[in-house]
Amino acid sequence: MGANEFLFLLTGLKWTVLLSIVGFIGGGVFGLAIALARTSGRPLLERITAGYIALFQGTPLLMQLFVVYYGLALVGLKLDAWVAVAIGFTLHASAYLGEIWRGSIEAVPKGQTEAAKALSLHYVWRMKDVILPQAIRISLPATIGFLVQLIKGTSLAAIVGFTELTRAGNIVSNQIFQPLLVFGIVGALYFLLCWPLSLYGSHLERRMAIATR
Amino acid sequence: MNYTLDFTPVIEGMPALLMACLGTFGLALGGMALAIVIGVGGVILRDSKIAPVRWLVKAFVELIRNTPFLVQIFFIYFALPLAGVRLDPTPTAIIALGINGGAYAIEIIRGGVQSIGKGQIEAGLALGLHKAQVFRLIVLKPALRAIFPSLTSQFVLLTLTTSVASAISAYELTSVAQRIESDSFRSFEVYGTITLFYLVISWVMMRFFAAISTRYFSYPVK
Amino acid sequence: MSIFKPTRRSLLVTGAVSLAMPAVLTRAAFATTPDEIKKRGKVIVGIQGDNPPFGFVNTSGKQEGLDAAMGELFAKELGVQVEFTPLAVANRIPALTAGRVDVLFATMAMLPERAKAVQYSKPYAANYITLVAAKSTVVKTNADMGKLVIGVPRSSTQDTQITKNAPEGTTIRRYDDDAATLQALLSGQVQAVGANMFYVQRLNAQKPDTFEDKLEFQRLYNGACTRLGEKEINATLNSFIDKIKANGELAKAYATWMKVPLPEFPASVEGVPFVVS
Repeated sequence: MGANEFLFLLTGLKWTVLLSIVGFIGGGVFGLAIALARTSGRPLLERITAGYIALFQGTPLLMQLFVVYYGLALVGLKLDAWVAVAIGFTLHASAYLGEIWRGSIEAVPKGQTEAAKALSLHYVWRMKDVILPQAIRISLPATIGFLVQLIKGTSLAAIVGFTELTRAGNIVSNQIFQPLLVFGIVGALYFLLCWPLSLYGSHLERRMAIATR
Repeated sequence: MNYTLDFTPVIEGMPALLMACLGTFGLALGGMALAIVIGVGGVILRDSKIAPVRWLVKAFVELIRNTPFLVQIFFIYFALPLAGVRLDPTPTAIIALGINGGAYAIEIIRGGVQSIGKGQIEAGLALGLHKAQVFRLIVLKPALRAIFPSLTSQFVLLTLTTSVASAISAYELTSVAQRIESDSFRSFEVYGTITLFYLVISWVMMRFFAAISTRYFSYPVK
Repeated sequence: MSIFKPTRRSLLVTGAVSLAMPAVLTRAAFATTPDEIKKRGKVIVGIQGDNPPFGFVNTSGKQEGLDAAMGELFAKELGVQVEFTPLAVANRIPALTAGRVDVLFATMAMLPERAKAVQYSKPYAANYITLVAAKSTVVKTNADMGKLVIGVPRSSTQDTQITKNAPEGTTIRRYDDDAATLQALLSGQVQAVGANMFYVQRLNAQKPDTFEDKLEFQRLYNGACTRLGEKEINATLNSFIDKIKANGELAKAYATWMKVPLPEFPASVEGVPFVVS
């Protein structure tokens, strides 16, 4: 494998990273909204968001990408392939992050909410200053775990024809036909991306387990 | 031009799609069975007295959990034949799903085993039970009960992951759907319908695990 | 689950709206005219990313091949920039009909069943579809295919041809793209593949002197594709193709990428109109 081929893989890696970042940030923003709606105490909001989460957790990511990729265009939105794929990952991530954060919001002891209410803190401040900071801490290991999941999930963008790391690997492997080497390197690149995150996640988990012991 | 939704190809392809659901279930169940074997085996080996064995299991878990499934299945299907291992798409898919699910199962089961207090194991040994009996009765069953929810969601995820096996032309729902899509060019209609199919499939899986849970893991324990 | 209670009127309205919606929304969004492309300043071309020498991404990430040359010439004709959207084989038609791209220069062989879904232009390239296998594999007739495992890129012309010509019960494995199909043959997962005229060359580049064409199924012509009913862009494409055939630019691109002289093109192809009727 020459330097050119390796650089081509790195270009793929760049798109993998970008797609992950966009999906994570977009998913984070919408996910927070979903988590808040899910814990809002309003039955209608809670039911709709519960349905949203069930839909995304109950169907394959690949199908979600297909439907978003072709569906957005059908309702009249002309988007770059990459924007369409990014929207797909954002929706996917928002459902998962919404569910993770709902769990951690509910894991904050009830007394905290009651105390804040007793101090007549408005919902916004109660969430922003009291509940969310604690919830975020609780959710951190699971959130990082999902980020790893998301990075790996971006490989499926290859199947809709988006040239990220996995598809770049396929193309290179086809040009030089050394699949063992190429997929080995592709796997290693993903590993280098994900492993530090995984380690950090389990480190946090252990630390929190000790703290709550 | 106008795009009007047309579900005729989906309706005509319905028998093929329903048959393909069986393929999806087959891959999922095969993958789960293998994942459980790898999971239990991995947990036992992870506590091996031989250090390299422990390292190997840890490395396996980290490697699988930090690389995408698509890359894993490509590797098994396209690269291993060079090393003399050539498998058909369906066995490849089951093995890839089993390995992937197994790595997660090792971590989940280990968490369950750790939740069993040392005292209980010692008590079991003190009562004269064999090591194997202690493992089966005192460790495994209560641990399984504790981890059942995580295992369920991991296995539902595994079921959904079967769709990726279409990339190596395994027989399952997504590949049959792609075939219908390519004959009719009705991508949105086909994939929209299939998405609902998967929703039902994952619901069935969840009911299935819930039933197992009530049947085997509900208190009181015999 | 009573999120909202449907009344008869609300159902009627919803029904009417959802029936009309695709029509209303898509009309405005989809109509691509040369004027609109000029105003936008770029033409979005759907192309293959892994099928040399037609359309492929080279290792420095640049889109190359005959189809890329076509896209660039067409953009020059319109006086706009070109933007390539690489597509998997099976995604080509959906990407066009869903409005992701303005035009396909994507090794689109002219087939009557495809002509029902997209509008072809006049042909600009020729191709033939064969069965490729190792020299040692014995294949003399279509019936011989029955005992082989054959790989094809899903919903490609090869897929259509192999499916049509192979005997009932032949194992056909369908992959997402050319790359995976070639790999399946090279790694021995399949014994033969449905191929275009360049597969043998690409395969033998990896394993010299191993593979050969066994059966020829069909001679095909590739055209540019636009959405059905879009008159103006189709007319622009046809006069563009006439022009580059006349002034030698197509022959030049052909010599660069296909390494063969420009073939004779037919005036019509059965079941495939070149002009919006």
